[in-house]
Amino acid sequence: MSHDSLIDQLATGLPPVRRWSMARETGLLLGMAGAELAIFLSLGVMRPDMGHMIATPYMLWKLGSLALLATVASIIAVRSLSPLGSARRGLALAGGLAAVVLATALMIDPGAAGGLPIGHRLSPLHGMGCAVAIIALSLPMVGAMAWLMRRGAPVDTRRSAIISGLAAGCWGAFLFSFCCPSDDPLYVALWYMIGCAIVAAMARWLLPKGYRL
Amino acid sequence: MAAAQDGNGGAYRRLLGDVTPWLDRYFTRRLPMADVDDAVQETLLAIHRRRHSFDPSQPFGPWLAAIARRKWIDQLRLIERRPDQPLPENVSVADHEGGVTAMSVLTSLLRELRPAQSLAIELVKLRGFSIAEASRETGQSPSAVKVNIHRGLARITALIEKNDHVA
Repeated sequence: MSHDSLIDQLATGLPPVRRWSMARETGLLLGMAGAELAIFLSLGVMRPDMGHMIATPYMLWKLGSLALLATVASIIAVRSLSPLGSARRGLALAGGLAAVVLATALMIDPGAAGGLPIGHRLSPLHGMGCAVAIIALSLPMVGAMAWLMRRGAPVDTRRSAIISGLAAGCWGAFLFSFCCPSDDPLYVALWYMIGCAIVAAMARWLLPKGYRL
Repeated sequence: MAAAQDGNGGAYRRLLGDVTPWLDRYFTRRLPMADVDDAVQETLLAIHRRRHSFDPSQPFGPWLAAIARRKWIDQLRLIERRPDQPLPENVSVADHEGGVTAMSVLTSLLRELRPAQSLAIELVKLRGFSIAEASRETGQSPSAVKVNIHRGLARITALIEKNDHVA
């Protein structure tokens, strides 16, 4: 087929399109996140001592850093869904931020965890349960990111998918923080990171499927 | 493009007609001649599919260039996966300046590869040698020639993806 006949085909009967708007798409994502948070908290799964714990440095660190990571990663992800956006620097920024968050875990007083052997502190059986819960809670956000990716026009689909998965994983971890019984930063740093990394890997594999620029 | 987003077919036809020569030059400098038309048409289709993602408050050029660059990388991947075919006798070069630029870009990319890889790519992909001829010429086994071509093209693709300034 010649270029001219292809252009004729594309231009004939051209329907209007709704323009991509970063503000609108981010708003949709925020709305979905808010709805998921409201539904999750209304299920009554929040830990009973949350009223007291919320003001402790540990809980402030956990909720604050996960919310920050989820927000930064989401903004980078949505920006990368335009042909002019790139997730490469954003991924490095999110990775650096995650490293800072993990490093600050060392400065948080583990409180009750003091003196316990490391195997006990990491509690692999419970830890794997936490990672699975984080993955499950991140699925609605992964779905939303997949929908946004198809609506957008990312040119670097792999990196866009990874940062989208990271955003979804951090959001799932943020939600899970409200019911996680562990008060040990080492436990949180390890198992939450594993949960988020699995979601990012899953997104890297799933999100580009069926997408065509 | 803004008018095309609102459904103005005439403006859209003019826009695509205007960008086609630019795309043609862009791909002629970066791809074998046999792949240029496919790349141009793939890019036109991508512009059509993703026209809603253009923000009229931003310039059109960088948006177009980002899509074209992605299609260039996709086309390189296709070439990498394609079985080796002998080059046709009458390879036409429409634009000497484009050829010079292409050679300059290609030479700088080939310099980044291991010597065995760049030699295999140069002989088979650029000078039209068969695998057996390249094997005789370089002293590499035929399978080593194939592996070097495959790895070299993969490395070139990765380099292009890594470095925005190559585009």
